[in-house]
Parts: sequence; structure tokens; C-alpha cells
Amino acid sequence: MAKKIFKPLKASEKMNKILKNHYLKAKYLPALGKFFGYKTAWITSGAPVELLRAFGIEPVYPENYGAICGARKVSPSLCQVAENRGYSLDLCSYAKSNLGSIWNPKESPFNGLPRPDLLVVCNNICGTVLKWYETLSREFNIPLFIIDTPFITGEPQPWQIQYVAKQIEKLAIELEKFFRKKLDLNRLEKVILLANETVDLWKGIRNFAKNKPSPVNVTDLFINLGPMVVLRGTEVARDFYEEVYREVEERYKAGIPAVEGEKYRLVWDNIPIWYGLYRFYGYFAERGAVFVTDSYTGGWAVNIKKGPPFYALAETYTGVFLNRDLEFRKNQLQSFIEEFSADGFVMHSNRSCKAYSFVQEEIRRQIMRSSGVPGLIVDADMTDSRLYSEETVLNRVQAFLESL
Amino acid sequence: MYLGVDIGSLTTKVVLIDREKNLIAYSYSKTGPAGKETAERLIQEVLGKVDISRDNIQGIVATGYGRVLFSGKEFSEITCQARGIGHLYPEAKTIIDIGGQDSKVISLGKNGRVLDFAMNDKCAAGTGRFLEVMSQALEVSLEEIGLLAEKSQEAAKISSVCTVFAESEVISNLSRGQSREAVARGICEAVAARTAILAQKVGVVEPVVFTGGVAKNTGVVAALEQKLGVKLIIPEDSTITAALGAALLAAENS
Repeated sequence: MAKKIFKPLKASEKMNKILKNHYLKAKYLPALGKFFGYKTAWITSGAPVELLRAFGIEPVYPENYGAICGARKVSPSLCQVAENRGYSLDLCSYAKSNLGSIWNPKESPFNGLPRPDLLVVCNNICGTVLKWYETLSREFNIPLFIIDTPFITGEPQPWQIQYVAKQIEKLAIELEKFFRKKLDLNRLEKVILLANETVDLWKGIRNFAKNKPSPVNVTDLFINLGPMVVLRGTEVARDFYEEVYREVEERYKAGIPAVEGEKYRLVWDNIPIWYGLYRFYGYFAERGAVFVTDSYTGGWAVNIKKGPPFYALAETYTGVFLNRDLEFRKNQLQSFIEEFSADGFVMHSNRSCKAYSFVQEEIRRQIMRSSGVPGLIVDADMTDSRLYSEETVLNRVQAFLESL
Repeated sequence: MYLGVDIGSLTTKVVLIDREKNLIAYSYSKTGPAGKETAERLIQEVLGKVDISRDNIQGIVATGYGRVLFSGKEFSEITCQARGIGHLYPEAKTIIDIGGQDSKVISLGKNGRVLDFAMNDKCAAGTGRFLEVMSQALEVSLEEIGLLAEKSQEAAKISSVCTVFAESEVISNLSRGQSREAVARGICEAVAARTAILAQKVGVVEPVVFTGGVAKNTGVVAALEQKLGVKLIIPEDSTITAALGAALLAAENS
């Protein structure tokens, strides 16, 4: 059964280099640029990073760092560092990996992240980030900038967007004070343009999976997501995804499937099980099951709309799927199933990510009743393997695949 | 002839059927640390019962947690359980199965097809192992828990969340003067409460068949029937139905 059916994209090698460069740069730029007043920012994955980029900052993403800790299987020990200081076992393992890496950098990838000078948080992805970043703000005694997005039930209303746009505008003023320079609006436009070009490529890459057999597995998207997140709005990211696009297109033209002998097409919901990239997802691939699309990496396949930049950013970041109601999430999954001709869906009930996981059981029930497409829920955690019992999980996966 | 081998976390079961899918013989015993040897010994035992040699076996399918130990075809116990019950009770719509470390509820379609299922996750509270620990705390045999429970009108409150904590609750209930009968009944109700949550995930549609070692426990059966408000069908031997399903799959896939 241990056949090597998994064919990672060649671009993954380049991705590794890009990420390594990013973290090296983040580490040494502040030291080198001290005389030029270079600042290091930490930011959440759902915050309007374009603004920081317009100020010439290359911010660091503790969440991406958490994913790296997960894939490198160091999360459990870093989480324990945080737990020893009183943080609960039930707390988000990205947060705990990050906190653990601050208190035990020697055991952490890249010896921990560079010390931040400012923090930017947006609660469109969850409420935990607020408390996490407040802790960081206290720990480093540095300013914390908050963008508060109201939870959207139904469609976002103009007043809700206005509320967020005003905050982004205010953030721009605060950052001008902090960096002691004016916001370059032309540069902001350029960053937004680059972000959109990258998003278009990402969408294109994802859409190839609509073909049968699919030339791309969702694991390819997971593995190559890094630059999309941490280098959003840069030429490096855009150029990288051009390369990924070309590679997937070549696969498609040559009829090369991502999973040999594609038998089942599945949709994935939630953040990946990072420490299971090969064993867990490989189990599916070995049985001819390919993940054609997912809600998680789909979060980065959304363009920033045209129009005044603050309003456009507010509209995009307020509308993210994690900030939407059950109906939105259900319809999104339903359309994934239809557009990608999926035979079933797998939901990762992620102990860390409450906002993502709480509604899954109800979504699963509604979709199974309305469309008859079967869904499986697996209990695990995105990075903390102590919360993952492989035998039990794979047992359910086998039963699910047998029932398709 | 075909063999179905179910190597469970607590018990291993072996079932022999003929070409016409008639049950010919079966055997089971504790799995122990050497699952494969246990299975081999039981196979010999079953073959010995009807005095045939291994050469007469056209196919074997293994299931249960030890299935990977066994070379050859394997299916998950959900598929096997569904197949076995679909064969015994073609009209069945729901299976509730409580084994050694697993409890599961399967929604059945035609011919024993799995429509949906739910299983306990990460925690063995409410399973056979839970009852085993509780019987030790009460110093009675597994079967006696059911008999004790039937004697009591009231039930002690036992949390259904954690086996380890529930054991402490049993002990503190007893020391507070609760009768063993009431505690036994409380234990059965805790198992039923836990199972009902799973059952509601996939929905309970009658007829409902109750399988697994725990289905032999009359106290749990009564508590579960009351909790779910349905009459449970219990196979003659509730422990071997997944192994029977495995044997049927062996016949179909050979």
C-alpha cells in the first residue's frame, strides 16, 4: 500500500526557497536597517496587509509560522511551553506555537520570529486573534492596531463596510505617525494590483481541478500556499504563481493526474492537518481519492474590488468566508461540490479553530439531506498532533471511502 | 466456504459461511496482545468444528482494528457491520454498535449499503471498555451490571464524558451510600446518553438493530430503548455480525 502516488509540484522547491528567503530577510532586515528606521510588523492572515506593504514593510505572519511548526512537527513541544505558562490545552495551536517560540526560540524553526515593533490584528477570521495579539502586545510592550469587522449575516451592508473602511483610514493615519512618513497612495494601488494579479493566478490554478482527472490535488495548494499569504501584493508572489500556473497547465495538457487512477473526487473543509501532509492525505491518494478543492485555500481566491482603496479593502476583508453565516458557508460548499463534480466531502473538525469548526456538523447534515452527497467529519488539530489519533481517524476514512 | 475475521480491540471473532451464505460455524475469544495468532487459532477452531481443511476456504476478509495484521483483503468494520446486518435484517434502517473501544451508529440503505455513520472520537467513554472499568469498580462481572441495573428504580448520576472520572464518580456514589443497583443503573444510563448523542447525528430510523458486545448487556439495552424511544432488535449473537459481514464480503469478492 505504500506506493508513491503523491507527485508534488516541481514549484514546491522554489516555494521553499522563497519562504526561507522571506524569513531570513525578516530576521536580518531589522538589524541592517536599524539606521533607516526599519520596523517589523506581525499581522494576522486576514488583515489588510496591503496598507503595510505600501509603507514598505514586509510583515511576518505568526499563523504561517504556526503552519510551518506543524509541518515540521514541533508544535506539540512549543504548545507545551505555552501550556506550562498557563495557556489552556483548548487554545488555538497557532497561538500557542507562536507564544511557545517566543519563550523557547532555540527549539523553534528559524530560532523564532524576529521581534516585532508593531502588531496588526483583524478579527474577521476569529476572536482568538484579538486575545493572542493582546498577549503579544503586553509581552513586547508594543502598539497593537485593531481592525474590527462585524460578523456578517446575509449580505454585507454598506454601513458595515463603511464602519471597517473608516477604521482602515484611521489605521493609515496611525501608521503614518508610527512610521513618520506619508502613505503613498500610488504605491498602495500598485500593491492592490499585484495582489489581484496573484489572486487571478491562484483562481486559475484552482480551476484546473475541475477537469477529470484533476491535475492538481488540494495538498499541492496547501504546500504552495505560503507565498500567497506572506508575500501578498508582491512581484515575487505573482511570479511564483505564474510558474505554478504553467506547471499545472502542463500537467493538464499532458493529461497527467495529480492522483494516479483517480476514483473519487472530494472537497476538503478547514485548515489542513499540517503534520499529516503525507501520511493522512497520502492515505486518500493511495485509494484513488483526490481532493479537488477546499474552502481554506479558497479564502485567498478573492479579488479586491475596484474603487476607493479603503472601501475596497474593507469590502474584501469583511466578506471573508470565516466572517459569514452558516448559510453562506453551506452554499459555498454546495457550489464547490457542483462546480468540481465532487463525490463527497471531508470536514476537519479542528480543535484549534472554533470559528471554522462549530458549524460543520450542521452544514454536513443539511448538504447530505439536500443533495445526498456524503460527508465525513474527522477530529484532529491543524498543528498539535497530540489531538490526532491516526488509527481512529484512518479507520473512519476507510469506512467513508468504502461507502462512496 | 468463506471466512470473516474481525480482530477487535477486546475480542476477535471468526465466522465461517458456505457458498449459499449460510452461517456454518463461529468462534471468538479475547484478542490479547497477539491478534494475528489469536485469529489463526480461532480459524483452526472453526475449521475443526466442521472438520474441513484450510484448502476448502475460497476467500477470507479481515476487519476490526487488527485487520492490517492480516494479509489479504480487508474492509472497515463499518462496511462489514452494515453488510452483516443487511443480510440478517434486510429491512433494518439503523445499526447501533457498541464494541470494545468504539461506539458507532450506521444509517443503512438497501442491501446493507452505508448511507452515513457516526463514531465516537478520541474518547472511549460509553463503550465496552467503559463498562469493563465500571464493573471492576463495582466488583461485579460485565453481565451482572445489567442484572443489577434492572433491580433498581432509581439511577445514580454518572457523568458520561470521561471513563476515568466516571470511575471516581462511581466510587464516591458508593461511599455516599448509593446502592450498587442504582449505580449500575446510572452506568447503563450514562452509556445510553453517550450513544444517543451519536445516534442523533445520523438520525434514528426504525427498525434499529443493536450489535456489539454491549448489546448483550440488558441494562444498557433497557436504558437505550428508553432514551431513544425505540425497540431495539438484538441479533442472536450480537458480537459476530461484523465478522459475518466480512465473510459475506469474502464470498462476494472472491
